[in-house]
Amino acid sequence: MSKYDWLLFFHITGAFFLVGGTVMAGTFTILALRRRVPSEIAQLLGLVRLSLPFIYAGVTLTLVFGLWLVHAAGQGYSFGDAWVIAALVIWVAANAAGGMGGKRQEATLAEAKQLAATNDEPNGELATKLRDPVGLALSFGSGLMVFAVLALMIWKPGA
Amino acid sequence: MSVAVLRPDSWDLPLFLHVLGATLLFGGVIVVLVLTVAARRGQTASPMLARSAFRVWLAVVVPTFLLMRIAGQWILSREEKQLPDLDNKGWVGVGFAVGDGGVVLILLLGIAAWLYARRAGTGRAAMFAIVLASIYLAALAVAWFAMSAKPGS
Repeated sequence: MSKYDWLLFFHITGAFFLVGGTVMAGTFTILALRRRVPSEIAQLLGLVRLSLPFIYAGVTLTLVFGLWLVHAAGQGYSFGDAWVIAALVIWVAANAAGGMGGKRQEATLAEAKQLAATNDEPNGELATKLRDPVGLALSFGSGLMVFAVLALMIWKPGA
Repeated sequence: MSVAVLRPDSWDLPLFLHVLGATLLFGGVIVVLVLTVAARRGQTASPMLARSAFRVWLAVVVPTFLLMRIAGQWILSREEKQLPDLDNKGWVGVGFAVGDGGVVLILLLGIAAWLYARRAGTGRAAMFAIVLASIYLAALAVAWFAMSAKPGS
């Protein structure tokens, strides 16, 4: 196996972790959106945290080995290529959006836990926070941007 | 020289769908695993978590498995036109083993998740679901190593 093969393997491993973590976070959020009881919402939103190690590992591996591949692949790629720049910009935007969406979700989780500990009955305010359009747009927008980066990696427009 | 270097544009869409399906499938199987473990550990929420695990199997794992497998066949048919000896490559064989052999594991996982949901988060089916999901995740990791690094090619 060549150096290129190993770099590609670790880069793709990062993609699996990043997309896998994104699927985890998105699925647990969608499942929480379908519940009304605070303890159930808290349980499902709490599971979103388990996606973070996958996302962090994926973010690191895709960036480090992606840049290394551009440098060492010997296929004429350059850091100035439009698809590389676009991927980096979208990658940063996806991380920023995911981070901001996650903070809003943390606040909702804290409220769900508080309600679960006191009066575990459906609560209108919690339901509104859970369906906060800005938070959902940030979180799911982040996921869509990850898929956009994946598409760029395959098509490499302009390469 | 790597196959990736020679990849014509017409392979891009099936390759994208194949990789997308595989990565989504990886996430979906982890979700089923996490929900089943959480249901086993939880008390009041166990029935809800067990039902959710089965629904995720149905709504995420099955469609993404089909996407991965069908797109894999699609790109293989394109590749074989340029690389006639492809069927004899070990990494293609690994892909077939995980893809086709994985059908059995995926189906058994679905049955275990369904039984666990039907019994409201109690019973031994959870342990089967956890073991099957773990085995399939390991198999997927072997497949993505074979597909990306293409050892022996």
